[in-house]
Amino acid sequence: MKSFIRRYQWQEVLIGLLVIAVFIGTQLSPYFLNYLNLANSSVTFVPTALMGLGLFPIVVLGEIDISLTSTLAVSAVLYARCWEAGMPVVEGALISLAVAVVMGVVNGVLVAVAKLPSMAVTLGTMGAYRGAAYLIAGDAGINGIEGGYASLGSTWVGYIPVPVLVFAIVAFVIWVIMAKTNYGQYCYAIGNQAPAVKSAGISITFVKIVAYVLGAVTAWLAGVVWAGQYASARGDNADGTIMLVLTIVVLGGVSIFGGSGLTSGVVLAVALLFVVQSAMSLANVPGTTQTLISGLILLIAIVLPNLSRLKELIVKKPTTK
Amino acid sequence: MSSDKGNASNKSFGQQLSARARSAMKSQGAGVIVFLLLIIVFFSIFAPHFMSMQNVKNILFSAAVLAIAAVGESLVLLTGNYDLSVGSIVGIVAFISYDVCSKAPGLGYIVVIFGLVFGILLGAFNGFLVGYLKIPSMVATLGTLSVYRGLDSLYAGSREVTKNQIPHWVNVFAPSTFLGIPSYVWICLILCVVASFFLFYRPSGRMLYAYGSNPKAAESFGLKSPRIIFGAYTLSGLLAGFVGILMGAQVGTINSVMGNGYEMEVIAAAVIGGVSLWGGVGTPAGAMLGALVYACLDNGLILIGVNEYFRLIFQGVAVIAAVGVDAFIRMQSARFSTRHAILEVQA
Amino acid sequence: MLKSIVQRGKIALGVVCALAMLGSVGACSSSAPQGASGSSDNKKILVIPKYTGLKYFDVSGDGAKEEGKKLGLDVQYIGTQDATANAQIQTITNAIAQKPAAMVVSAIDENAVTPILKKAQSQGIKVVTYDADADSSARTVFVNQLSYELAARTMLDSALKNDPNGGLVAFISASPSATNHRKHVEWMKKLIDSDAKYSKLKYVDTVQYSQDDATKSEEISRNLMQAHPDLKFIISSSVPTTAAAANAIENAGKQGQVYAPGFSMPSSMSHFVEDGTIKAFCLWDPAQLGAVSVAVADQLVQGKITGKKGEKVKVDGIGEFTIGDKGELNVDKPLTFTKDNISQYKF
Repeated sequence: MKSFIRRYQWQEVLIGLLVIAVFIGTQLSPYFLNYLNLANSSVTFVPTALMGLGLFPIVVLGEIDISLTSTLAVSAVLYARCWEAGMPVVEGALISLAVAVVMGVVNGVLVAVAKLPSMAVTLGTMGAYRGAAYLIAGDAGINGIEGGYASLGSTWVGYIPVPVLVFAIVAFVIWVIMAKTNYGQYCYAIGNQAPAVKSAGISITFVKIVAYVLGAVTAWLAGVVWAGQYASARGDNADGTIMLVLTIVVLGGVSIFGGSGLTSGVVLAVALLFVVQSAMSLANVPGTTQTLISGLILLIAIVLPNLSRLKELIVKKPTTK
Repeated sequence: MSSDKGNASNKSFGQQLSARARSAMKSQGAGVIVFLLLIIVFFSIFAPHFMSMQNVKNILFSAAVLAIAAVGESLVLLTGNYDLSVGSIVGIVAFISYDVCSKAPGLGYIVVIFGLVFGILLGAFNGFLVGYLKIPSMVATLGTLSVYRGLDSLYAGSREVTKNQIPHWVNVFAPSTFLGIPSYVWICLILCVVASFFLFYRPSGRMLYAYGSNPKAAESFGLKSPRIIFGAYTLSGLLAGFVGILMGAQVGTINSVMGNGYEMEVIAAAVIGGVSLWGGVGTPAGAMLGALVYACLDNGLILIGVNEYFRLIFQGVAVIAAVGVDAFIRMQSARFSTRHAILEVQA
Repeated sequence: MLKSIVQRGKIALGVVCALAMLGSVGACSSSAPQGASGSSDNKKILVIPKYTGLKYFDVSGDGAKEEGKKLGLDVQYIGTQDATANAQIQTITNAIAQKPAAMVVSAIDENAVTPILKKAQSQGIKVVTYDADADSSARTVFVNQLSYELAARTMLDSALKNDPNGGLVAFISASPSATNHRKHVEWMKKLIDSDAKYSKLKYVDTVQYSQDDATKSEEISRNLMQAHPDLKFIISSSVPTTAAAANAIENAGKQGQVYAPGFSMPSSMSHFVEDGTIKAFCLWDPAQLGAVSVAVADQLVQGKITGKKGEKVKVDGIGEFTIGDKGELNVDKPLTFTKDNISQYKF
């Protein structure tokens, strides 16, 4: 039991924060505890949340991918172009998926084969893919998307929006991969730089490339949801939101050095950020305050666990030379 | 093994450090210079008036401010950490310094000092989080990025700092030139020389390199990592604050979103300049040249009349290519120094 | 072992795709279940700019709130500082949840906001766009500060005021998704080509994009002046860009040779007008725009107008307007600022 509590320590902190946030939300606005409202606004959160899930395995590996938002844009505009050309949904989806996979492979190869630092590589591809998205979309973008193409972004199954369902499915799949498969174990091992990895004959290159492809696939899904939900796609879709995606992963308790972090953490972080943002938005909190509060939450969340070191410092000082 | 240790202690720590620093400089200076030459040749052919006196001055002016920020960031990168809050520091220092110093006539003269001190404080907080509380740098500076930006917005509301609020002497100084070269470029060059001097010839500077290239070894030598990291971030904050003041004057109208996303440009410039993201490798001169490459790309593509979208692609590819070249060169020099190390052990 | 990884990966992907397709095919209903719709004797109007924190929008918000007070309404100005479509749509979604009588929106992305605005309309909320339009099916009335043609003419006229001899024009827009900017540029090009009044003007075909970022605007402006030595006018519909361009002109020492006559706020530009760098630039009264929008929204809620072509809208203290094609209402009160009148304006 004790090990269970220790293993999920971070999740417990998140749940605590979540409860507090929900409480504050109810106090701030009478519209907060309305299921339909929450369901409606959750839809807009899904693309970012999906990218967070996609970034998770990559960070566990000890790498990073800041080009996911650009991959979303390319996927969305390509998918939209297929709609425009009158192609059947499945074809359009597969074509854009294939391109997304290629983008993931490029990232993966540069990081794992050429052994270049992932921050630099994905900084480069972030710009390059974004430019590609603009070129595909043209100045005006594509709009008026409807029908089958829009189904993943704008329909409901009973009382649950399909995007939320998609998120739930992807979260489940990522959980299965990371917690229940050998592949997931390899990710953690590589992230911890365990010497056993090399001797076990695992191809680090392959694991990394797969992780980047996985990330790209979630970005593709996010792009499809986006195109459906906004009935349009442009080159600047999701531009500048990568910091929020990184925040989701970090807030989810995933160590940026790699080797640890659980899917449940990422999901809870998504929930927490969603609740906080919705609460502030429903209460019409001014934009400036919202920016500050989002920042403070992240800062508090990352400082709190490390405050014990502060005690160490103060106690240690007199004895050190 | 014991003879190994004997050899190690025969050479003074300082000598080892400066040898390392010198090899670091040699091994990656080449990459960005080659890159720069390629770009210059390319644009000289395809862009009209690219190498004209006027245009060169123009490019240097654009590069100067980014270069200073890149030098600051490179100090942090050298320790193997990131500073993602650069953009927010630039923004908040610019706004508050100029706003506060326009409230009373005498304050206009100290706006630079105000900005530097403010930058130091913000950088020091980063240093505290990463160095003393041991929070991973990407996470800590992601947090301060938001918090600093939030404070900036809160302070600013919807106000803007307009050109009227910028002290007259600053307005005169910013576009001025000395010996035909823009003053901003002189400042950048001087800062680069100072930073290089500090890094290569002062013990605390060399400690930065030593720590960055091998944190564990450095600590076993007795280097205090919290202090080194704290110092690096404080200096980075100082330079970022300085950039805020310079950029505010360059632009004239300051609002609370100034500097949004700047950290990406700054890191890109440093990376193009050969500063390694793994720490321990890179020079201020390199970071400066990286910023120059960036400015050349911006300028050249507008001169050619190319679509903005291609600029994004070019810059993205440039970052990857720069890192690739840098990795290649390091691989070669690693082979070289491994042979040396083996020879030393055998001796 | 590799085989098992590949197998598992394939299974995972297969599961995702299958379920996703299942989801889309098996959707029972094609649209969201309706909440309690309709707005009763509702006095709440929510004003949603592209994003908050930009002085131009915040001034329009103040004007809207003032008009609301006059009419006895509860007008709130809401939004986040995040300049993305996603953020604005989240704001609008949460605005719908608060069941206002009407929403007054400046669309950051005309296409992306259309579905959510349509949803608002389906729940009985009156939707009015101002400053930047969405698709005409998603709103009842678009309060346009200046018809696109008038906007273009105003900017070109103000250019000629700076130098009646005309010259080469370069355009800078905020982004490709800024519809109003795109339409302005289209009209300006058309007028320069066809209208004899503007025969002395020529233009550069490629449009540059500044993302409303002042630093970028300043650098683009300087690069444009380098790329086209005979450049005379840098015209931008973006408020921050025009001010930054004016500063760039001073940085480059080209006062009297190049002008930035586009849209900007008097407070940002007063310095340049005073020292003669800019002889004239233009805009409209953002507070007035906000006020008219709220008045229109109120009249829609009360059923006094329905958005049909030819309907007349009277706004006390400002004037009477006629609704034109596709529900577009043009306020058409441009302002051109020169040394003589700029001190009258406080925004």
